[in-house]
Amino acid sequence: MAVVLPVGTRKGLFLLRSEDHRTWEVEGPLLEGWAVYHAIVDPRDGTLHAATNNPFYGASVHRSSDQGKSWERSEELGLPEGGELKLNATWHIEPGRGSELWLGGDPGVLFRSDDGGRTWQLNEALFAHPTRERWQPGAGGMCTHSIQLADGVMYVAISAAGAFRSEDEGATWTPINKNVAAEFMPDPFPEVGQCVHKLLVHPKRPERVWQQNHCGVYRSDDRGDTWERLDGNGLPTSFGFPLALDPEDPDVAYVIPEQSQEHHYTADGRLGVYRTSDGGASWELASNGLPQRAWVAVLREGLAYDDEAIYFGTQSGSVWTAPRGGSDWMEAARDLPPVLSVEAAPA
Amino acid sequence: MAVVLLPAVLAAEAGGQKRFELEAATVGDALRQLPVRNLLFDEQGELRRLINVFVDGVDVRGGRLLQEPLQPGSEVRVVGAVAGG
Repeated sequence: MAVVLPVGTRKGLFLLRSEDHRTWEVEGPLLEGWAVYHAIVDPRDGTLHAATNNPFYGASVHRSSDQGKSWERSEELGLPEGGELKLNATWHIEPGRGSELWLGGDPGVLFRSDDGGRTWQLNEALFAHPTRERWQPGAGGMCTHSIQLADGVMYVAISAAGAFRSEDEGATWTPINKNVAAEFMPDPFPEVGQCVHKLLVHPKRPERVWQQNHCGVYRSDDRGDTWERLDGNGLPTSFGFPLALDPEDPDVAYVIPEQSQEHHYTADGRLGVYRTSDGGASWELASNGLPQRAWVAVLREGLAYDDEAIYFGTQSGSVWTAPRGGSDWMEAARDLPPVLSVEAAPA
Repeated sequence: MAVVLLPAVLAAEAGGQKRFELEAATVGDALRQLPVRNLLFDEQGELRRLINVFVDGVDVRGGRLLQEPLQPGSEVRVVGAVAGG
């Protein structure tokens, strides 16, 4: 099936297209001048949405209904006037129920749009969460980077505030961080303050939630009420950013470990994708075709999957893809600007 | 009538228009009339930190900034600060 990868980079958006997953056409850069932290093709209408940031002109969201030929910028997006906080960055866009669209941003904020991304309304419950004073920014800012909706439940994850769950469409948010370590805090198991790097819900088994955290890899089988740490048994380190799942098999997950929290490059000096096929009880290297010697980084939005393949982009400007299972990797593009995000959609 | 000149990224966001002729008494009046005003000002109404404004070649951050008065024919140039590496 033909596929398009919206690849967000520090210097604009690139669209990678392929009919056969072997030969790739690269279009771009689009949205020149903007760092694209995340971009998606909305499966409901094919609209491209991009979380765009510029050091001079601030945080924004752009949308295109003609495959990137022309763009509109969201006009109403920001935090309440007269407050102390400002919108520092936009981080993640996620389609929701019906026509709704969700946007995560820094400082630990969530917006909803009901008009296709033209205007955005702040989620007040998360903005005014009673634990907010205990949140703190990670190295990438205090970003709401993961938004998941499954089976009537919504999840967000924020660095470094932790994961939160809402069962009333965002009216209230419950911290779900039990057993998740925050080894950089005086209390290593606090209610909030964990540094989640990526959180995903399995699409076919919505009570199963995975996270790659600053302090380990975790799985929950009860919608985040409790978590099990999974980063022994085959992973070279517990630290990393991206996470991918398998669309059918809820026991499969992929991570790309980094050397340590001080050294943000691939563990053991190799570009290693690690796969579990048993729910995280064990991990194995799935890196055939990837460089054996490499010190690169894959950011939290840099790993994606669809029904046929998995994909990731590096800060050194390469995009790699492999069939489901991660058995054989090939380079789809190279020498792009630093890759911030990768997604996949039917072309 | 003052003239406002935008850099490339802002001009692209203004539909490709780089030059605007506006009736404005001050720098703030002029900038707030632009279609890219929400890229120039944050939600608290403050001019973003890394945006500089020159009026007839003079940096108004060293003067009255948004209150800087404009004269007929004043040229207001919006410039990103020299930043990064």
